[in-house]
Amino acid sequence: MQFGRGKPANGAFFDSDFLSVDSLLAVALLHGLQQKSECRVAIVTVSRPNLKVAAYIDVVERFYRGPAAVFAQVPPTGMNTTGEEGPTSPAFIAPLEKTKPDGTPLFKSQVKRVLDTGDPSTLVRNYLQAQYEKGSYFILAGRASNLAMALNFRGVKELLAERSTHLVIAESAGFFADLPSARKVLADWPTPIIFCPDEIGKAIPFPGSTITKEFPANTPNHPVAEAYAAWKPMPYDAPATAVAAALHAVRQKEAYFKVSEPGRLSIGTDGKITFAPSAQGKHTQLSLDPAQKDKVQQLYVELATAKVVPPQRFRPPVAADAAKPADPADAVKVQPNQP
Amino acid sequence: MITRKALPRRAFLRGVGTAAIGLPFLEAMAPAMTPATKAPVRMAFFYVPNGMMMDSWNPTYEGALQELPRTLKPLEPYKSEITHIGNLTHNTGRALLDGAGDHGRCSGSYLTGIQVKKSLVEIKSGVSFDQIVANRIGKETRFPSLELGMEDARQAGDCDSGYSCAYTNNLAWRSESQPLPPVLDPRALFERMFGSGLPMTPEEKVRQAKYRRSILDFVSGDTHKLQATLGPTDRRKLDEYLSSIREVERQIERAEKDNTQIDPKMDKPYGVPADFAEHFKMMSNMMAIAFQADQTRIITFLMTREGSSRPYRELGIPDGHHPLTHHRNQAELMEKVRVINQYHVQQFAGFVEKMKNTQEGDGTLLDNCMLVYGAGLSDPNAHLHEDLPTIIVGRGGNYIKPGRRVIARRETPMCNLFITMMDRMGVPVEEFGDSNGRLGGLDLPGVDLA
Repeated sequence: MQFGRGKPANGAFFDSDFLSVDSLLAVALLHGLQQKSECRVAIVTVSRPNLKVAAYIDVVERFYRGPAAVFAQVPPTGMNTTGEEGPTSPAFIAPLEKTKPDGTPLFKSQVKRVLDTGDPSTLVRNYLQAQYEKGSYFILAGRASNLAMALNFRGVKELLAERSTHLVIAESAGFFADLPSARKVLADWPTPIIFCPDEIGKAIPFPGSTITKEFPANTPNHPVAEAYAAWKPMPYDAPATAVAAALHAVRQKEAYFKVSEPGRLSIGTDGKITFAPSAQGKHTQLSLDPAQKDKVQQLYVELATAKVVPPQRFRPPVAADAAKPADPADAVKVQPNQP
Repeated sequence: MITRKALPRRAFLRGVGTAAIGLPFLEAMAPAMTPATKAPVRMAFFYVPNGMMMDSWNPTYEGALQELPRTLKPLEPYKSEITHIGNLTHNTGRALLDGAGDHGRCSGSYLTGIQVKKSLVEIKSGVSFDQIVANRIGKETRFPSLELGMEDARQAGDCDSGYSCAYTNNLAWRSESQPLPPVLDPRALFERMFGSGLPMTPEEKVRQAKYRRSILDFVSGDTHKLQATLGPTDRRKLDEYLSSIREVERQIERAEKDNTQIDPKMDKPYGVPADFAEHFKMMSNMMAIAFQADQTRIITFLMTREGSSRPYRELGIPDGHHPLTHHRNQAELMEKVRVINQYHVQQFAGFVEKMKNTQEGDGTLLDNCMLVYGAGLSDPNAHLHEDLPTIIVGRGGNYIKPGRRVIARRETPMCNLFITMMDRMGVPVEEFGDSNGRLGGLDLPGVDLA
């Protein structure tokens, strides 16, 4: 509520190992929802030490947030510096190699080395402090290393309980790659946890046809579309578990998916996750609602491919600008997201 | 073999009335110290308001400091003593739901690491880290700490969007509700430093005022006695030291004389020079003496208060500093801010020169200091609280290996630097403010500056 415009939308914290294109689409969907003022993307953190991934995420964040606005900046990309670097898909490199007709890079990343990224736990703490009470939620897609470390960080657990409402976990191979962290998050995360199984992602994939249709029609040279096209040979539809998790995190009340009764999620010694119903449990899990399938897929496309507009300015035009005759085109530029 | 009694480290030249002058470190004091004893480490913070034009502050290179950026040019002769730190952040200076008021927050949180309470009456910050150090080691010096400034010591009123002036006009906080207002008046500082601390009798006050004698005259008896016992090196050092005190006295007298010709309607305390550079020189000369004589090991200096709208007519800039910093990328305004930024550094460079030229033990006074120069905002137009402009001048007792640009990871808390400095001051703590560890890299091996 920086300038008295009312309480802002809730903050979305997205953490992923970015081992699948699914997570990129989830980030695009969150920004689509941000353009509708339904959420604010607080930070995006990478849960493995891969600079190329972090550099790409920096490109995406700068792409959506536009040039630094007055009293605002692009937050640092968080990156875990422990564990394995993991594979680097060509999708993270291809957009950075694209050039404009004049030969200059189409996308520029400010992340060249680890120093250009932020410590995920510190970022979670700092950006949680900027959220209202019960004014944020988390989406986890991949290994839970960053969130587990954040739980151990001074003051974060208390802040989560105070400022956050829920965590949605998208099932993925990565989530089970760091079992101690996954178990810690399931056991200690202070808010309700909603588990989004990968069967939802497989049942409602993200349509690959959007890469040649909706994305370029709405926003030419989109880094997410470029990455999608480079992930594997086109055409293909991408399983979209993280996209479903992100959509549910923001629009819980819309009930696009069926939500189980409360219970308790746990990971056994065999590494498999089980759900035991329990009235006192803080966990729930999602399942597919066949009646909503087409609507949900339509929403994926609409939100993830939404036309990207520059962020609104928070200050009135300077006196010199104000003296000019009103130009409707300027009004659109200044407040593009006003209903 | 020691054949004579060593001079105590905290010896004073005492005189009639209130006069008492601390002594610098002399060779004659050395026998009193064990071989392992080193000169004490001192720290000072020089805070400049309204952020910095970062394009003229940050070098475009890393590693060894080469040609300094424009704003830091006045420090070029001392670049081998500078550690230029990048990416330190004060998250508690950000809005964090409290709306406008970045100036009030950034100064209130600068040394406290606390998100201050947005209020005009219910003042709430936190104990600043300099005062934690002062509480622990302050008993070893005459003053646990000195809080100094050059502009506006108001402690009440609205100085920024609902933030009390207590936040913008103080750096040091004794408790969460008790700031330590800076001394602005050179005369007041001089008398605080060289008075005995005991109240003068009315007769003594009258006599001192009537004859306007130098403080050195009051201690001349002790001075002569001491000089007779010193070797030639110590005698020269003592002469230089006493001369520097006399010079400060003369500056103050001159300023007070000048002030009688100033329009009395001006809202300026008695004894405060009208000229910014002269004022700074007086204050910094006394800071140097305070460090040299080990009168204190901790100084905070508010160059001008946060949000200051002081015009710099002496530079041909009649505009207020703060309005200029909201330049909206207009080249003319940005250029004026750069000029002001460099002017501030130019004053500071004079102090660094003095510290560098003051011998202490086998090295210089600067070797045993950590002089932090910086601001609570980086880009003032955007009110950014990350990559705060920060340099440390000095070696902190040969711990810091200067002459380099050290870049921390983005979002690294400024408080990490503070707890690292607390280590050097002999007051180790595990956490302070929003710290998440110590700031590494300050003690990395030196680089070849040739």
